[in-house]
Amino acid sequence: MTSLSSDLPIEISQTALSVIADAGADVGQFRIAEHQNRMVNTRDGSVENVASDSNTALSVRVVHNGAWGFAASTDLTHEAARDAALRALEMARISAQVSNEPVELIDEPSHGTVNWHLPIGEDAMAKDDSEIIELLQEWNARVAKAQIVNHVDAGVSIGRDTTFFADLNSNQITQSRDRISANLTAIHISAEGFEDMRTCAPPAGRGWEYLTGTGWDWDAELNQLPELLAQKASAPSVEAGLWDLVIDPTNLWLTIHESIGHATELDRALGFEANYAGTSFATLDKLGNFKYGSPIMHVTGDRTADHGLSTVAFDDEGVSAQKWDLIKDGILVGYQTDRATASRVGLTRSNGCAFADSAQHVPIQRMPNVSLQPGKEDITTAELIAGVERGIYIVGDKSWSIDMQRYNFQFTGQRFFEIRNGQIVGQLRDVVYQSKTPDFWGAMARIGGPSTYLLGGALNCGKGQPGQTAPVSHGCPSALFTNINVLNGRKEASA
Amino acid sequence: MSELTMPQAVEIGLELLGKDGGVVVGEASENANLRWANSQLTTNGNTNEKSLNIVAFVPVDSGIGAGIASGQVRNRDDVAKLVEVARASGVASGASEDAAELFAGPVSADFNDAPVSADLSGISHIAAGLGEVMRDKSAQFFGYAEHEQDTLYVGTSAGTRLRFPQATSRFELCAKSPQRDRSAWSGQGGTTLLSTNVHEHASNVLQGLEYQKTKIEIEPGRHKVTLSASAVADLMIYLMWTASAREAAQGRSVFSAANGGTRIGEQLTARNFNLVSDPKLSGLETLDRVVNLGASSMSSPFDTGLPISATSIISGGVLSSLASSRHAAAEAGLPFTPLADNIHVYDAAGHGSLSETAARMGDGLLITCLWYIREVDPQSLLLTGLTRDGVYVVRGGEIVGATSNFRFNDSPVSLLNRITDAGESLDCLPREWADWFSRARVAPLTIDGFNLSTKSDAI
Repeated sequence: MTSLSSDLPIEISQTALSVIADAGADVGQFRIAEHQNRMVNTRDGSVENVASDSNTALSVRVVHNGAWGFAASTDLTHEAARDAALRALEMARISAQVSNEPVELIDEPSHGTVNWHLPIGEDAMAKDDSEIIELLQEWNARVAKAQIVNHVDAGVSIGRDTTFFADLNSNQITQSRDRISANLTAIHISAEGFEDMRTCAPPAGRGWEYLTGTGWDWDAELNQLPELLAQKASAPSVEAGLWDLVIDPTNLWLTIHESIGHATELDRALGFEANYAGTSFATLDKLGNFKYGSPIMHVTGDRTADHGLSTVAFDDEGVSAQKWDLIKDGILVGYQTDRATASRVGLTRSNGCAFADSAQHVPIQRMPNVSLQPGKEDITTAELIAGVERGIYIVGDKSWSIDMQRYNFQFTGQRFFEIRNGQIVGQLRDVVYQSKTPDFWGAMARIGGPSTYLLGGALNCGKGQPGQTAPVSHGCPSALFTNINVLNGRKEASA
Repeated sequence: MSELTMPQAVEIGLELLGKDGGVVVGEASENANLRWANSQLTTNGNTNEKSLNIVAFVPVDSGIGAGIASGQVRNRDDVAKLVEVARASGVASGASEDAAELFAGPVSADFNDAPVSADLSGISHIAAGLGEVMRDKSAQFFGYAEHEQDTLYVGTSAGTRLRFPQATSRFELCAKSPQRDRSAWSGQGGTTLLSTNVHEHASNVLQGLEYQKTKIEIEPGRHKVTLSASAVADLMIYLMWTASAREAAQGRSVFSAANGGTRIGEQLTARNFNLVSDPKLSGLETLDRVVNLGASSMSSPFDTGLPISATSIISGGVLSSLASSRHAAAEAGLPFTPLADNIHVYDAAGHGSLSETAARMGDGLLITCLWYIREVDPQSLLLTGLTRDGVYVVRGGEIVGATSNFRFNDSPVSLLNRITDAGESLDCLPREWADWFSRARVAPLTIDGFNLSTKSDAI
């Protein structure tokens, strides 16, 4: 990033902030953000796309006359910074005409001048395209040689965010963080139709080392994939009804994301997302008294987890990273906040969850790493399975959907292993599990220990209008849920 | 982009690509938006964005490789860096299986003109209307208005020089009762916010809240429903996105035939039902030339510049074509079928408005819109999702109250043969997919046995 490695950000931020200060605005925040992405994907070993992009912009955000104003530009010049400041002030003027409740931001101490970089091993951004392609083609060849496999799709995605933040509170904060993701899907086609099986490796805040064995055993998973696909292709279709589910972290992270992560966003609870992403059943009156789930449930929010996709030192309002409880002993005890929502509900400090996916978008309250903590006793996944008489062990995520208040959800997965009398007896097909958030978490009967804990996550969490996407991680152990409604996806489709 | 105009950047990109050639696409966008919640404005913005995309075609062993690089450019050096990255990616990629000779597309006489500026008067128009609507304290209002002006500059080494300005607007209004036990929504797509009548939308949502005062318990199950145009659009857009000739020919889609090949020619419904993508659709016109940066089962950058004509995916109830690149079409032995950025869904026998269509249903449920639609099973194209902001109970052709929301599990393909009635097509805002696809002219449909799988407590 050339723009952020020079004095330019500081210089043009001063141009913008002086315009804002002269106008008498209460809050003035200036950001430059550069987002770099690389992507390679192959289809049956042939390269389909090798692409890279970068997006750099500046933006100015103000609170003036009690209203927000925001403007952005992809020009990184003094003129563009001054213009953005003036446009932001004008947007605040327009908004103030219709606002009946002034915007107030809760205080945050100045952190001064800071430089922070997410620790990684090997710089993936510096890799030649050919090295990435060779890795994917080697993976492809390894899986495609199995007779059961008719097609293979594979891809690698690499990202880096570099940001500069300055405000009227004397902050000048430069940060960078990397992430990497890869996946491979094997497909079997027969006269009866087709089945697929995808790797379960989550995206991670790591470098190239992640694809060569640090943090994920790619060799083991790729070697197993054809056999897992063969088992699935010949598996019986599930019988719909109530089942006990042992859910692997590779699947449970997504259920946490949808039913806890989004539900504990304070802006949703206050109605700010009502037209789009929705609201939350976890309303403020439930704070401190609502039974979210079973007493063994302890869920935290953090922006500090090692290799977390939402890990950062400071958010886009200059608030330093923290870790806090969202659900403790099964009771709702906290929310994710930005400075405006924290002020609105009388909190003394934001927990640092304001950010945007580019400088061209307004920072909104977004999700930190939200994680289900493992049990104190180190119960293994095998031990959870051993305690189940009739159930399904679900591994890997696939389809997901949840309603606009985060009650009714439905998920599928990659692999569904039937459990009979504490033993896995083979795979099942067409498994869809469906529940209501408090019922599901209330049915969590046992929880795995630290040895089962895995940091899952996604690169594409969506929220806000204009729409924004964000990467986020969710750690969790394996866990047992009793009497969960399982549908047969194939039968649901038949009229 | 301060030192270069967009046409200049495109020309420099093509010059630097040299005889090997490629595609250069410049994008200039201006966006203005307003957002409100709890009957007050929350966020707003006015942003300008410019970027340059280079697709470099590079000779490699046994063919031509393609690499893509995108970013902002301010001078010739910035363009050169992008070209260098794209060419290096092209070399690394090896021979592209979709490589083909570029088509010499059109040359726009106004190619060198500046990007079109956004008309921001629509935002003021909406703000003024909202100021009046929000005085009504019988409900709380939430919503979003956006106007975006994009100008595309497309240049190829085969001579195409295309400038394409396009305006897109969007308005959404949601009203909730003060107790938050009722919720209604109304939306509108288009090209300008100036045509949005905020008061009319407010009247719609307040009428919805009024209907919802009467709560009627309906059990989950298969029900006769009338889906609004917005709801139908969200289902049919997903069908269109999955209508890939290559996926079907390879046995990887709902449109794959049981014994190989595709289902083209199969009667999906006995009704004269049509799903068309047409760049000349009056009022919803869109780009009539292929512009692709990346390759997929439905697209290839080597097709850039080729004309797009009207394509019927479903014609008279018959699956008549599937989307493809030239390469995918040749591989599948099918005609080359690129799609435009709009959708027109109509039933030849369709007539009347949404409320008239719902009234003809007699007894059933009128569904305002769908939300959180995701694919459950690609083989049947089983989709799941939620009803949202108004499921109205119709008895004897009249709305008599409202029921809860439901999770649905149904396939936009299988439901085609359960259509029992259709209204007239109208321009609508597909609520789920509007961030990606908003040019929709779609008929409301009455469907037998729509699978409302479980209840949702969400309001």
